[in-house]
Amino acid sequence: MTGPLFPQGGPNMGQPAPRYEGRAKVTGEARYPSDVRLPRTAHACLHLSRIGRGTIRGFDLTAARAVHGVIDILTHETVGDAIRQTPAIYQGGYTSDSLLPLGSAEIAHWGQPIAMVVAETYEAAREAAQRIVVTTAPHPSPAVDINAPGAETRALEPMMVQAGDFDAAYAAGPIRIDARYTTPAQHQNPMELFATQCVWEGDRLTVHEPSQYVNSVKFGLAEQLGVPADNIRVISTHVGGAFGAKGFLTQRTALVAIAARRLGRPVKLVATREQGFTVSGYRAETRQHVQLAATRDGRLTALRHEGWELTSRADTVAMGGASMTTRLYACPNILGRVNTVAADRSTPGFMRAPGEVPYGFALETALDELADRLGMDPVELRRVNDTQTEPVGGLPYTSRSLMRCFDVAAATFGWSGRSPRPGSMREGDWLIGWGCASAYYPAQAGNSAARVRLTADGTAHVASAGHELGQGMTTMMAQVAAEELGVPLERVTVSLGDSDLPPAVVNGGSAGTASVASAIMIACDAIRARLGVPRDAPYAALRAAVAASGLAFVEELGEARAHGRSPESLPDMYRGRALPLGGVELPDRVQFAMGAQFVELRIHRWTREIRVRRAVGAFAAGRIINPRTSHSQLLGGMIWGIGSALHEHTDIDQRNAAYTNANLADYLVPVHADISEIQAILVSEEDRLVNQAGVKGVGEIGVVGVAAAISNAVFHATGRRLRDLPIKLEHLL
Amino acid sequence: MRSFQYSRPSSLTAAAGEMGGLLAQDPDAPAAYLAGGTTLLDLMKLDVARPERVIDLSALRGELGHVHPGATELRLGAFARMAEVAAHPGVIADYPVIAQSLALAASAQLRNMASLGGNVLQRTRCSYFRDPSWAACNKRTPGSGCAALGGVNRAHAVLGTSEHCIATYPGDFAQALLALDATLVLAGPQGSRTLPFGSLHQLPAATPHRETTLLPGELITEFVIPARAWTRRSLYLKVRDRESYEFAVASAAVALDLDGDVVREARIALGGVATIPWRAHGAEDALRGLTLTETLAWTAAENAFAAARPQTHNAFKIDLGQAALMRALLQAASLEIRP
Amino acid sequence: MDTEKHDTTAPSSNRRRFLVGSALSGTVPFLPHEAEARAPLAARPPGDAAPGFALHVNAHVYQVALDPRTTLLDALREHLDLTGVKKGCDHGQCGACTVLVEGRRELSCLSLAASMQGREVTTIEGLATPDGRLHPMQQAFMNHDAFQCGYCTPGQILSAIGCIREGHAGTPVDIREYMSGNLCRCAAYPNIVAAIEQARDQGEG
Repeated sequence: MTGPLFPQGGPNMGQPAPRYEGRAKVTGEARYPSDVRLPRTAHACLHLSRIGRGTIRGFDLTAARAVHGVIDILTHETVGDAIRQTPAIYQGGYTSDSLLPLGSAEIAHWGQPIAMVVAETYEAAREAAQRIVVTTAPHPSPAVDINAPGAETRALEPMMVQAGDFDAAYAAGPIRIDARYTTPAQHQNPMELFATQCVWEGDRLTVHEPSQYVNSVKFGLAEQLGVPADNIRVISTHVGGAFGAKGFLTQRTALVAIAARRLGRPVKLVATREQGFTVSGYRAETRQHVQLAATRDGRLTALRHEGWELTSRADTVAMGGASMTTRLYACPNILGRVNTVAADRSTPGFMRAPGEVPYGFALETALDELADRLGMDPVELRRVNDTQTEPVGGLPYTSRSLMRCFDVAAATFGWSGRSPRPGSMREGDWLIGWGCASAYYPAQAGNSAARVRLTADGTAHVASAGHELGQGMTTMMAQVAAEELGVPLERVTVSLGDSDLPPAVVNGGSAGTASVASAIMIACDAIRARLGVPRDAPYAALRAAVAASGLAFVEELGEARAHGRSPESLPDMYRGRALPLGGVELPDRVQFAMGAQFVELRIHRWTREIRVRRAVGAFAAGRIINPRTSHSQLLGGMIWGIGSALHEHTDIDQRNAAYTNANLADYLVPVHADISEIQAILVSEEDRLVNQAGVKGVGEIGVVGVAAAISNAVFHATGRRLRDLPIKLEHLL
Repeated sequence: MRSFQYSRPSSLTAAAGEMGGLLAQDPDAPAAYLAGGTTLLDLMKLDVARPERVIDLSALRGELGHVHPGATELRLGAFARMAEVAAHPGVIADYPVIAQSLALAASAQLRNMASLGGNVLQRTRCSYFRDPSWAACNKRTPGSGCAALGGVNRAHAVLGTSEHCIATYPGDFAQALLALDATLVLAGPQGSRTLPFGSLHQLPAATPHRETTLLPGELITEFVIPARAWTRRSLYLKVRDRESYEFAVASAAVALDLDGDVVREARIALGGVATIPWRAHGAEDALRGLTLTETLAWTAAENAFAAARPQTHNAFKIDLGQAALMRALLQAASLEIRP
Repeated sequence: MDTEKHDTTAPSSNRRRFLVGSALSGTVPFLPHEAEARAPLAARPPGDAAPGFALHVNAHVYQVALDPRTTLLDALREHLDLTGVKKGCDHGQCGACTVLVEGRRELSCLSLAASMQGREVTTIEGLATPDGRLHPMQQAFMNHDAFQCGYCTPGQILSAIGCIREGHAGTPVDIREYMSGNLCRCAAYPNIVAAIEQARDQGEG
């Protein structure tokens, strides 16, 4: 019998505790937001715009209203001013885009919600939504993508990074690389659909919605609806995957809330898979330009990385990965720039390692091109440019174990057996390619609070409005409290995913564990202090101290303020505005998790299918609280990387910016058969500076660098350098 | 999905009788047979198919679910599940291209649901056909145009297209049937008949909405696949972007009868590249009587795609289809065939 | 709208006739605009409930009266409150809605509830024993951390049971191929394969 794949422990690593909610998930008892049963629920169905940018001339709702069971149809004509215009997250607000839901006759993009039907049954709501007839005046030539003539390019000056004199150094460089790369639009496609259930009891609203940030939904919705935030509760106990798609308040929530208020009964919306492609944000397509100069022994003398990212007309959104890729390697002359290109599309958003995936692909492919030009092993090229000091501001890394990751992964992979010449490794009809790349992700944290209660019976309860997205938050919370207090793990219970609980950071940016663990540790410290129990006191002593206190329980709130956040930022946490901070954004230091990715792929010599045969990643991310769940996240990330490199791209019709593959048969993600040998290695690393918990986060780093390792392996297999993702068989025929 | 009236007859006779009754009242009756459901319910949810009467054939599984591999022919009930046929040792051994084409299609769950008859009648995956908000689709609305011509058409056909439709036939099993000269047994209100499988699908030409030659109310009841000299040396090669659970980007069903290295007879059908299951007669002719080498396989493959017409995003399918056919031919030639 | 032309040269000359004829499998290409213009065949008002029938789920019999359009998936989730079965795409493209029908894995999103008359359906809720003992596949999934968000998990577990019963779990390569109809966006694939191997070795399917 095969043993588990995850490690059982190691230095600076906790126990591989099984998932707290594991039993609920394997028995079907776990209730995701759309599973919550509310009496007398009416069912909603969205109708999205089928034109690109344009104007609604009118609705013919006759056929839709005639559908048996239809109760209400919301359009911009019937909603009135029930929803207020509020600022988007990018302007310090809460919403994921700036479009007012059903706000006017103007259509900004294909797939914009323009009506919502509410009916007695799901079947009736769906039929009626399909029977809505809209007369429209489409814009004659909407700008459909990043290359469209009508798209507006804007340089984002605050994102500019500069050190030394790039132009002079590049001109003088003995060896130069000058290459352009593109990455496609991609969609997170969590398995769970975008669902919202709303129920009013008097003037109090409860929202059941899968979310990475219930408090942002709560406060944003309060602004939109003009109701006190105290009257709104958002519950998101289980989330069926998020990957950035469920970070902030989308247009649908207010629509369901007002529908439920109009009807005086609960309303449930489950957007279809296709609708999900524009209901929330996505990874925007990019163009990138990288220029490198190096000495003949591989030392970088000049590095320029400029990116162009698609955004919507309504919102200027950029992931700005060049701010990171310019600070990873020792180099005296640096230029980083980011531009947005506004087109008639929905507002992009966050998708697992949002800046790092596209920009990391370009830089790490360019480095491979440089290594090839130098005749140098790509691992060695990283080694000669490794640094413990960020090259732009001269700030220290809190810790950096990049080359340890490379060495461990290279040894496991067997990199020394590589035959460097492209096309030189073959097995029968298959060309074999090996490639590698660095992985990096900023170590971030955000202000978070947690409440810990120690009861006289020796049980503990931990509560925080963090989220269980599958990353293992619940288990981690229990483990940290158990370890800090010395309470047996099985005697700790957890509440999360509820805006009534102490607020936590948005669960994005791989910041959840670092932030919430720190808050739990503070609360546990306070409990021990109150009881006068020293750290590492035996469980019996802890129980005795509670008993001696005469209290039924001892409870403390821990508030963890993230490094770099001012004391004045704490109240914002209580208003749904706790965002991660770290990486290169700190005044005194830089902090990153690091890793190394190695890939072996095979390409059929005639039909050119590209299949990843092996992948080895090694990652150093500070303290690992739970090697089981961390390992799973890293494996999942690496598989995402394979999808990102070889499969995932959202097809855009050039006439109206319609997504023509907005479904899981045509938007390809890896399936079981795509994944064979894959190994994620946790490289031990201790970082006492990064945050109280010493945790850097592993949610996203696993995906970073895989696409470059694959493109580099394709070059190794075929001698063809492909700079546009995804790499598909037609690019190799 | 529109409302419909539902019935579940208990026998083939009752089903055909019910459909016959509807057609007698109204020859254009918007009624549909429902078998495995994997195409019809999908298209009804998309609002592409709008039957007002659904005749559920799920009770007929027992009646028409047989798998009979014999020495002279393979007889398959139209309601046999794809999975059952794909896993049948007799089919795997003696009609490998049949088993492989089924095993490589869809997913295990879909293969447990879908009937063979439904499989060969599955509709195109053209994005513009599957989304009724695109007004232009000659397959959905005759005379409305073809949105795919100016759209995203990587997945579309290069063979058998017309200015009216470039939608790809998506199935796999049909290519195997075509290569092995299968015959269909049909039943309907007007009685039973047989039809060569190659006569089932119609080129889109000016009438892409006419996809098959079935008569009103007719349904497939059985497939008869003759055992011939080339049947056992047969295989199905399917090229996809990902390793599984994807429609073919290009595929080839091939069957060879060899005398040493010399091709006595060849049968070739192509998938993923054409508007209908595509028999490559020219390529077969190019192989006949000659020694099978890489060069000859390439010549045959070029012949198979001589008439190909690429669209904006799918020119690669010509090269890919040729490569797939060449690979399939050489692989088939290298098979060890036990006497 | 009726654009039909008379053409007597081919059996399929009548488009409408052809449309009816083309459909063993459910492939009837009703043209939306035509269907729109026709008087409905059914006298019953749209959306009206069908006569009641019995659904056999997890060894229980449920008497239901459902709109005929109701899929097995929606019947289980919305009417029987068996929400362990999940909707991930509603079009047979993800496997999250997998259930066992007569012991075989099928997709509940592409089945009408009405078609299930006389057939036994097993959902994830029906796997553990009444006293709460987990099915070995459920236990194996826990042992191997074969899930993260858990949304695809009921479908993966039921599909895995089907996979072993079908005899397609002999090797990791077979498991991967025959489990490819179950997408896992968290990508717990390697752990799922390990879990299936454990359950297989325990003789479970």
